[in-house]
Amino acid sequence: MFQITAFCAAYWLINAVLYHDVDEDLREDIREFKMLYNAGAIHRVQHEIQREMMTDDQSKVFFRLLDSHGNILFNSDLSHWPGLVTDSKVIQQLISVADSVTQSIEISGHEYATRVIYGVIAPGTILHIGESLEEQVEVMEVLLVVFSVMFVLVVPLASFVGWLMARQAVQGIEEVSQTAANIESGQLDQRVSVKARGEEVQKLANTFNAMLDRIRDLMLEMREMTDNIAHDLRSPLARIRAISEGALSSHMSITEHQVAASDTIEECDRLLQMINATLDVAEAEAGTASTQNEAINLSKLVNDACELFEPVAEQKEITLLCRVTADCRIDGNIQYLQRMLANLLDNALKYNASGGQVRVELVCTEKNITMTVSDTGIGIPQSDQIRIFERFFRCDQSRSQHGCGMGLSFARAVARSHGGEISVTSQPGVGSTFTVMLPFVK
Amino acid sequence: MKVLLIEDDLTIANFIKKGLKEAGFTVDHASDGIDGLHLALGECYDVGIVDLMLPKLDGLSIIERMRERKINMPVIILSAKRSIDDRVKGLQHGGDDYLTKPFSFSELLARLQALLRRSTYVVEASTLTVHDLTIDLLARTVIRSGKKIDLQPKEFALLEYLMRNERHIVSKTMIMERVWNYNFDPQTNIVEARISKLREKIDKGFDDPLIHTIRGLGYVLKKPGD
Repeated sequence: MFQITAFCAAYWLINAVLYHDVDEDLREDIREFKMLYNAGAIHRVQHEIQREMMTDDQSKVFFRLLDSHGNILFNSDLSHWPGLVTDSKVIQQLISVADSVTQSIEISGHEYATRVIYGVIAPGTILHIGESLEEQVEVMEVLLVVFSVMFVLVVPLASFVGWLMARQAVQGIEEVSQTAANIESGQLDQRVSVKARGEEVQKLANTFNAMLDRIRDLMLEMREMTDNIAHDLRSPLARIRAISEGALSSHMSITEHQVAASDTIEECDRLLQMINATLDVAEAEAGTASTQNEAINLSKLVNDACELFEPVAEQKEITLLCRVTADCRIDGNIQYLQRMLANLLDNALKYNASGGQVRVELVCTEKNITMTVSDTGIGIPQSDQIRIFERFFRCDQSRSQHGCGMGLSFARAVARSHGGEISVTSQPGVGSTFTVMLPFVK
Repeated sequence: MKVLLIEDDLTIANFIKKGLKEAGFTVDHASDGIDGLHLALGECYDVGIVDLMLPKLDGLSIIERMRERKINMPVIILSAKRSIDDRVKGLQHGGDDYLTKPFSFSELLARLQALLRRSTYVVEASTLTVHDLTIDLLARTVIRSGKKIDLQPKEFALLEYLMRNERHIVSKTMIMERVWNYNFDPQTNIVEARISKLREKIDKGFDDPLIHTIRGLGYVLKKPGD
C-alpha cells in the first residue's frame, strides 16, 4: 500500500514538473515576441515566426497572430493542424483581464494533446502558440512502464528481503524471550546462543547472558548463605533448648540453675551477634546513600586502630607494624571504615601464630588510597580465596571456630559502598594480604 | 533516685522495674507515649528510660516535647533499631544515651549510673583519687603510693574513665564507646588486653589490686574493702 502511494506521488510530481516546463517555454516565447513587436512592429514578429518554423517540426508547433476579434492576421503552416479553432472565450478573457492564458486541447488528427497559449503582445494583437505534448506524454508513458515493472518486480523482492532480515532479528529476540520464559520456569542454566546475527541482537544476547550469570551467582550464594544461616542459627537454638529442658526436668541446685541461665544468655548473645552481623552487612551494602558520610582523617583512623590492637598483638607475641602516609583524608562513614579495618586486623591476629607479624600500610596518592593488612598467618587455600568475601563463608568447613564469617563480607560491603574494592592474595602457610583500594575523592 | 520508665512491652518493663528497685531506685512506669509524656511533664525525675516504638506517641517525640519544655533530665533511649542512622537520630533528638534491645540489665544499670554521675558533676575536679592512686587531669600524671607511673594517652583515658566511675561496673561496650569512640565490639577482646596491660602498670607490685574484672559484665575500679 505504501509503495503504491509512493509511486503515484512520484509519477504525479514528475508529470507536474514536465508540464510546468512546457508552460514556462510558452510564456517565454510570448515575452520574446512582445519585445520583438515593441522593437519593430508586426513584420518583425512574422519574420521571426517564419524563422522559427524553419527549425521546428511543423507537426509539433504552430504560431498564429490574431486580432482582438479572433480574426487571423498571420499564421505558420497549419497543414498539420486542420481542426484548430479559436477559443472566443479566451479572447474575451484576454481583452478584459489576463495577459496570457494557457490550456490543453485535443485536436483531431493529433494523437497527443496540445498545450496552447494565448498571449497579448501588443494592443489588439494576440499571439497563439501551440506545442504538441508528444514528448512529455511519451516520457510519462515510459515512466509508467518503468514504475510498473519496478512495482511488480522490485517491491516483492524488497519486501521479501526486508521480511527475511526482520525475521532474523525477531528470531534472536524471540530466542532471548524464550530463554527468559524457560528461566522463569526454573531452568537457571539456560543461555541464549550467540550466533552471527545482527550486531544489536548479538549485543542483547550477550548482555542478557551476562545478567543471567550474575543472577545465577547470586542465587547460588544466597542458597548457600541460607543453608549456612540455618545451620548457624540452629546450633545455638539447639543448645538453648537443651539447657532449658535440662533445667526443667532434673533436680538442679540453685547454682546449677544459675549456670544454666547464664549459659542461655551466652547462647542468646551469640545468636544476637550473628543476626546483627547479617544486618550490618546488609546495611553497609545498601549504605552508599548513607547520611553519615563525613570528612575523615584516614591516617588518624589507621593509627588509632593500630594503637587499639597493639596490646592484643603483644599478648599473642605478634609484631604489629604500622606504616601510614600522613594526613590522608577521605569522605566516608567513619564507623564503617573503623570497623572494616578492625575486622581485617582481627583476622590477621586471630589466624596468626606467636612470633608472627602483622603489617598495616596506608598509602595515599592523588588518584587512590590503598590500605593493606598483611599477616604471616595460616593463609587461605587458593580454592577459597574468591569465596572468603561471601557471607557466612568459613574456610573451616566444620564451622567450629568462633566468629560467624561475616567480617570479610562486611569489609567488602564497606569498600564497595565507598566506591572501592577489596582483594586478597594468600599462600597457605606463609600468610595473607588484604588490599583495600578506595578512590580518592576530593 | 527516681526513674521514669516508658516501655510498652510489659515483660521487659517488669524486668527493668524489678532490677531497678533492687538497685535502690524508685520507678514510675508508663506503657504508652501519652501517659509517659504526662508523667515526664508533671513529675520530677532524675533519669528517664524511653522506648522508641510506643503506642500513641513515639519516644523521639516525647523527648523532643520534653526538651521544648526545658525538662533536661537525662534520657536513655531503648530501641530494637540498631543502625548507626537510628542511633544518631536518637541522640540528635535529645537522647543522652542509646541502648539496643536486647540488652543486659547490668549494661542498662551501668549506663544509667554513668548518666546520673555525669549530670550531677558540679565542679570539674582537676585530680581524681581512689585509695592511694591519684591522677592529675591537667598534668596528665599518675601517681600511686608516691610512685610515678607512665601511661600512654589511651591508657590514661581508660584509667580516667574507670576512676570517674569508681565503684561502678563499666561494660566493655561502654569502654569501647567512651574511650575509643567505637560503636561496635570487635571480636578480639581488645578491652581485655588493654585492661591487663593497665593492670600491669597500676596494680603490679602493689598489695591491693584496684582494677577488678566482673565476669560477663565488665570492669570496676574500687579501693580495697569497697
